[in-house]
Amino acid sequence: MSDFFIAVEDVTKVYATKAGPVHALGPVNLSVRSGDFVAIVGPSGCGKSTLLLLVAGLLECSAGRVVLGGVEVRGPRTDVGIVFQTPALADWRDVLGNVLLQVELRGHKARTFEPRARELLDSVGLREFEHRFPFELSGGMQQRAAFCRALIHDPPLVLMDEPLGALDALTREQLRTDLERLWMNTGKTVLFVTHSITESVQLADYVVVMGPRPGLIEQVVRIELPRPRTIEVREAPQFHRYVHDITEVFLRRGVLTR
Amino acid sequence: MFWRHRWVALGGATAMGVIVFLLLWELILNVLHVPRYVLPPPSAIFRQFQRHFSLIWRYTLVTEAEVLVGYAVAIALGVPLAAFIAFSKFLERTLYPSTVALEMVPKIAFAPLFVTWFGFSFLPKIIIVMLITFFPIILNGILAFRSLIPELFYFSRSTGAGPWMMFWKVRAPAALPQLFVGLKIAATNAAVGAVIAEWIGGDAGLGYYLQISAGNMWTDLSFGIIVLLSVLGLALYYAVSVAERKLIPWHVSQRVLQARS
Repeated sequence: MSDFFIAVEDVTKVYATKAGPVHALGPVNLSVRSGDFVAIVGPSGCGKSTLLLLVAGLLECSAGRVVLGGVEVRGPRTDVGIVFQTPALADWRDVLGNVLLQVELRGHKARTFEPRARELLDSVGLREFEHRFPFELSGGMQQRAAFCRALIHDPPLVLMDEPLGALDALTREQLRTDLERLWMNTGKTVLFVTHSITESVQLADYVVVMGPRPGLIEQVVRIELPRPRTIEVREAPQFHRYVHDITEVFLRRGVLTR
Repeated sequence: MFWRHRWVALGGATAMGVIVFLLLWELILNVLHVPRYVLPPPSAIFRQFQRHFSLIWRYTLVTEAEVLVGYAVAIALGVPLAAFIAFSKFLERTLYPSTVALEMVPKIAFAPLFVTWFGFSFLPKIIIVMLITFFPIILNGILAFRSLIPELFYFSRSTGAGPWMMFWKVRAPAALPQLFVGLKIAATNAAVGAVIAEWIGGDAGLGYYLQISAGNMWTDLSFGIIVLLSVLGLALYYAVSVAERKLIPWHVSQRVLQARS
C-alpha cells in the first residue's frame, strides 16, 4: 500500500436525504500510483464525482477510508488542485487575480506568485487576457484559467470533475490535447472524471469503469498506447479496441443498449 | 457629437421630458381654470419654495438626517447580523424566526409607542426609519451570504483557508450584488419611514410640515413638499446605485447589453 499514492479502501458513501438514505457509492477499492493519469468513466449518478470529493476530503466517507500520499484523508486536503465542470471563477477578479486567489487563500503574498501565474497563463494561451474579467471570456478560456488556478500551487494531485463537459466539441478536443501536454510536462497524478469513453481512452493510463448506482467499479482497463496520443494514435485500431472493451462493460450493465 | 455620448443623451432626454411635462401642466391648468387648492401649477409651487425657503431648507435637513442615520444604523446592524445568521445553524434557528416574526408586525403601529417612550425627539424617528429599512437589508443579506456556488465553496475549502480568509476574499465579494438589492429596496422605503414618524410624533421636518400644510389646504406648498420628498428618496437611491457601480462594476447588472439597435 505504501507505494500507492492514492489508496481508496472499501469506501462507501451514503447520503442522508429527506426521502431517506441514498446509497451513492461503493464499496469501492482503488489504487493509484504517483504520476498516473487515471480516468473514471461512468453514467450519470454513478458516484464518480462523489469519489473525487471523497479523495479530496471535501466529503466524508460513510465507511472505509482514503489514504493520500501515505496520510489518511480526514478533512479537506490542501495538497490537491481541483477543476470542476463549471470554471467557478471569482467574478470580481480578473484572470490573473483568479489564478492568484489559490495562493492568497493559502496565506501567501500574491506578488511572489505572479511570475508563476503568468507563466501558467502563457502555457494555456491566456497571457494577453490576464486583466480581463471572467464575463469577458468564453467557456473554454474560463476553464483554462481554472486549470491554471488548480496548478499554481504545484499540487502533487490534480482532481478534475468533467472539466470539459460544458464546452463545445471543438474546444473540448483542443483542451484534451492541451491537458495531456500539461500533464506530460508536470508529471502530476491526475484523477479525471468523465462520461466520455473516447476521452478517457485518449487521456488516461488507466480507465476505471463504473456501473450505475450504487457506484461500483466494474473494471479497470490499462491503456497501453504511445504518448502523446496524437490523431494517428486515436485513429489506430488499438484505440478503438479499448473503446469497444469499455463500451462492452456498459452494454453488459445496461448503461448502453445495442 | 456631444450628444452621442450615452449618458449625456439620456440626461438631456430626461431633462427635456421634465421641462415639457411642467410646461404642459402649467398650460392645461390655466386653460381649464382648475382651482388652486385642487391642483396647483408649477409656478405656484415654485413661488412657495421662494417664500418659505429657509424653513423648507431647515426641515429638509431634519428629515434627511433622520433618513441617513436610520439607514446607516440599519446597514450597520443588518449586514453583520445577516452574515452571522447565514453562517451559523444555531443563530439561524434562534434569531431568524424572530426577525421574520418582527417583519410581520406593522412597524408603523409602534410609532405612537415610541413617542410615549422617547417623546418628540430625534430618537424615535431614527428607530422607525431603522425598522423599516432593516428588513430588506437583512433578508437580502442572508440570501446574499448563502449564494456561494458550491464549486467555489469546494475550491476555497481545498485551499485550507480559514473562516476569516474565506469571508473577506470569497464570501463577501460574492455577496455584494444581492446585498445591494436589499440596500436599494431599503433606500426607497427610508424616506417614507421618516415622513410617517414625523406625522405621528414630530415637531420638525418635511413630514411634519406636510401635515400642517395639508391640514391648512395649502395645496401648492404640499405639492412642493411632496416633490422635495421624492427628490430625497431618489437621491438616496441614486447614491446607492453609484456606490454599486463603483463596487461591483464586474456584475451582470452593471453591464449594458452591447447590441446594435
